[in-house]
Amino acid sequence: MDQQSTRDLRADVSKILGVLDDMQDNVDGVLDSSIAADRANPPVVFGAGGPMLKMFDESTQSSRKGSQAPTPPRSVVGIGNKVAKPDYSEAKIVVAMVGLPARGKSFLSNKLMRYLKWLEYDVEVFNVGQLRRARARQKAQQSGIKEDHTATYFSHENAEATKIRDQLATDSLEMLIQWLRKGGNVGIHDATNSTINRRSKISARVAQERGIEVIFLESVCNDPAVIAANVALKVSSGDPDYSGLPREEAKRDFLTRIRQYESVYETITEPHLSYLRITDVGNEVTLSHINGYLQSRIAFYLMNLHVKPRSIFFSRHGESQYNVLGRIGGDSPLSPRGEQYAKALPDLVRDNIGDAPLTVWTSTLQRTIQTAGGLNYTQLTWKSLDELDAGVCDGMTYEEIEQAYPEDFANRDEDKFNYRYRGGESYRDVVVRLEPVIMELERQENILIIGHQAILRCLYAYFHNLPQADLPYIKIPLHTVIKLTPKAYGCDEERYKVPINAVDTHRPKPKAAGLGLDAAPPPTARDYYGSKQ
Amino acid sequence: MAAPLYTTASGLLFHAGKILILTVGLPARGKTHMSRALERYLRWMGIKTQVVSLGDYRRKTLGGAQKLPPDYFAVGEKSPETMRLRQTVSDGCEQLIWDFFMSGGQVVIYDANNGTRKARQSLAEKFDKEGIHVIMLESWCENNEIVESNIRNVKISSPDYRGWDPDKAVADYYERIRIREQAYETVEETTWPFIRIINVGEKIMVNKIRGYLQSRIVFFLMNIHNRFRMIYFARSGQSLIEHSYKADSDLSPAGWEYSERLKEFVTERRNNALEQRGYNPSERRLVIWTSTRRRAHHSAWPFLSTSKQEALLPSSPGYTSSPLSNVTSELPSESGTGPSGTPSRVPGDITHGRPQNAPGAPAMGRTFSETSVATVSTVDGSRSNVKVVEKPQMSEINPGVWDGLTPEQARKFYSEEWNRFVKDPYAFRAPRAESYHDLCVRLEPVLIELEREKEDLLIIGHSSVIRCLLAYLIGLPASEIPAIEIARGDLLEVVPTSYGVHTQAFHFWDGPGRRGDQLDGTESPSLTDTKGASADGEAVHSRKTRDESNFYENWAEDTQGKKTHSIHELGMVGHGENPRDSLEHV
Repeated sequence: MDQQSTRDLRADVSKILGVLDDMQDNVDGVLDSSIAADRANPPVVFGAGGPMLKMFDESTQSSRKGSQAPTPPRSVVGIGNKVAKPDYSEAKIVVAMVGLPARGKSFLSNKLMRYLKWLEYDVEVFNVGQLRRARARQKAQQSGIKEDHTATYFSHENAEATKIRDQLATDSLEMLIQWLRKGGNVGIHDATNSTINRRSKISARVAQERGIEVIFLESVCNDPAVIAANVALKVSSGDPDYSGLPREEAKRDFLTRIRQYESVYETITEPHLSYLRITDVGNEVTLSHINGYLQSRIAFYLMNLHVKPRSIFFSRHGESQYNVLGRIGGDSPLSPRGEQYAKALPDLVRDNIGDAPLTVWTSTLQRTIQTAGGLNYTQLTWKSLDELDAGVCDGMTYEEIEQAYPEDFANRDEDKFNYRYRGGESYRDVVVRLEPVIMELERQENILIIGHQAILRCLYAYFHNLPQADLPYIKIPLHTVIKLTPKAYGCDEERYKVPINAVDTHRPKPKAAGLGLDAAPPPTARDYYGSKQ
Repeated sequence: MAAPLYTTASGLLFHAGKILILTVGLPARGKTHMSRALERYLRWMGIKTQVVSLGDYRRKTLGGAQKLPPDYFAVGEKSPETMRLRQTVSDGCEQLIWDFFMSGGQVVIYDANNGTRKARQSLAEKFDKEGIHVIMLESWCENNEIVESNIRNVKISSPDYRGWDPDKAVADYYERIRIREQAYETVEETTWPFIRIINVGEKIMVNKIRGYLQSRIVFFLMNIHNRFRMIYFARSGQSLIEHSYKADSDLSPAGWEYSERLKEFVTERRNNALEQRGYNPSERRLVIWTSTRRRAHHSAWPFLSTSKQEALLPSSPGYTSSPLSNVTSELPSESGTGPSGTPSRVPGDITHGRPQNAPGAPAMGRTFSETSVATVSTVDGSRSNVKVVEKPQMSEINPGVWDGLTPEQARKFYSEEWNRFVKDPYAFRAPRAESYHDLCVRLEPVLIELEREKEDLLIIGHSSVIRCLLAYLIGLPASEIPAIEIARGDLLEVVPTSYGVHTQAFHFWDGPGRRGDQLDGTESPSLTDTKGASADGEAVHSRKTRDESNFYENWAEDTQGKKTHSIHELGMVGHGENPRDSLEHV
């Protein structure tokens, strides 16, 4: 910076300081009168509702006019702005599944996809079974010939079918690589990939691509009960391979198919492959050549999974005094109706869970702690569960914000997920902050979270695999307990509304009616054809 | 969420009970490095952890190798005298382990060879009987280069070889290993939970590891490495409103000056430090981490501009449009390897369509994309890669209701909270604020990434954040975190070594905002010169000084009894070769 502009800026800054000084002179008086009145919700010096922030912004702006400061980023004014998505363009990996049928490969790949998508990676599962069925269906529709996809098709002595199946796996990998090239981050190749030969083909193919790496994820299951349950699920869930077959016969056929794979199956022993072997989900893990950042995250995530049956309960705090006033943020106590909800909650929980163990998580804000007050279970307080920080807008009503900063306010509606309040957070920031909570949730069994609207939206979106754009509009009403029960391909959901009235704090997306998500949970059934194929 | 979320009467955390980790491995396999790193991490998490080192204990009680009977390390028949000595040492260590568990400790890492199945088995059974979870942690190394470099860099500097010729010492050490190898049995028994680490993390096998703490330990071990790298810490530049978190204001002119100076100094210092150690700086990448706060990521701006000149002339024609500008940042940016010789990123585009300075222009643009890469020319003309990553977890400590207040206002309006804060600045959480403890919990994922990072790293951060990260690296107790002084204008250089870190501080800048002085650059009377400034609660700040930087964030700078690093006063860039002294934290 040259001397002249430095001097100019010094002069400008003294102007700003003058404004700051004047502002400071008023602070004591303002604080004196209002802190005494409302200690729980004191005024903020640089809040968007007060005059100081605006005065400061204006003084900064005028002082910048004409200065040649080498200040590339734009000046800060207003109440917030949209932030760009983190750059994940360097992350490109193929996760190739390895394992016999009914060993939970699809379960793991679905979980992994949900987790990584939630962290905003672009993830897609390329399921060879789906491709096979979709192609067979197409063929059947065109020519009227229905291919036989019973066990004989999967026999390794059936040379023709083996060739077709190899081709399917190759095609599916090609589609995956094309998709990665177009900007995807993690492509999951969901197939048995059961032989050394096949795996070496995959790693040779991926090695041709610059910047793409492959890790193998082997799922081993030695527990006959788990395998039997997986087989039963497969047979009873309407697999089109077995349409028209009696259940017993379908089961017999599927078991034959598994035996055919077993006869050629080779567990991963190749010393140079990057792989992760999971035995009996979470019991034993082997990691080999797991180097990249994303790879180690994936490994840690998978290490924390378990498949014991359990439920996760979400409830917002009871209606708070700020809810009644229409104010956002703050740390206000419950309203009388909110207190009623807190009283009703223990019975509701007990009716639902009985004597099973349960742990209650709350935020550090008093409205959640008060709501959990009557619950006779272990309680943990998490700072990470605190409500989205609205920064300079904390404690204001939407009307007040709209009045004070009309343009900025509209800006938030445009892209709510990416909008970061000045001095506060965006939904994306909250997702980052909640990541350790998700990890802990995966490890735990029955958990009840007494949380806040934005926080529960983020957690709910993880369990239901909902896209970012819809996340800030998910309906999580007050005085309602949401029960999620994880299943193989998603979560079952039940909602219990407590008949105590409360205000509606949901703001639907303007101009786009019907986007607000209702209570209808996404399907948890397995997708046999794949919507993409 | 690593630092404890809660405390328990027993002092044990994460429902994990007491854990004994037995290291298993031949000498020079990095057992001590792993043990110390793990101890540091667990302690930072708030877990009472202790490494018990058999080697250290033997040296302490019996003296160096030359004082031992010749058959001490030999295999096979030993004299009764030697047997007795060896038994004394292992009994002594076991006693240390019991003592630590009895005094409320939760995790002991027993750093010894534990090379035979029989020895491991009997040791594990002894502790298992008392309800202590035993985990085997084996370090197995097939790569001779790793072993050799470990012997040369670490082992022969041990007290055992004081005064030896290095080559003789290496040969002697190899002999010691050879003898152990004969009796060594790798961990194959699946009776006990185990973690086997092969070739320093190349492959990791985990058996029957259950529980939160245990899986954290594995994740941590997955992420550590012992490749050479440098870590730098510097504060962000001064901003227009230092004492408001919410206002998230721009850098002041002094802040911009500071960031230019920071870039020059870091480049210079890093080049020197790397060359001294025989590395070519142009072959290494510098990764910069900042927070999403404007003052922090703007301070990294000069690193991304191709040169000062171009930063001043942002809209020269012919530049590719910048991913940092408001329009193109949605596009995924390519990696920083553009056609060589041409800058692939030119961040200078300040005006970009909309006049930035027009009063009332709505600021609806996008901020930085979270990662930005630039090929920049360094001072000496060589080209090196710089990557800037914004991390939302690295925002400064949130002052809650104290935001925008001066210290005397906070004392006046929140006297009760203020007194509690002064008594325990680490754990106390002001209304709506974060405590240092909350901050540590928030930073835990960053710590893991810090361990993982293999490139040289510059963290341009806020003092509260630097305090927490530094405390972790150095191994300071939590209660000291708020008192670590990080003055603006000092660059901290941290070099991880196998037993700890080596830190040095360099002073490179004096100017407005160095230590909580006024925006206009007039030195304010330092608070630390005013005896009892914060203790007696008197409003000692004159009107002139109340624009002081955010006192919550800068608590250490405003108090006495702070922890100060020795600072190398450097008149000019490039005088950093002979620091007067430095601190080795082990």
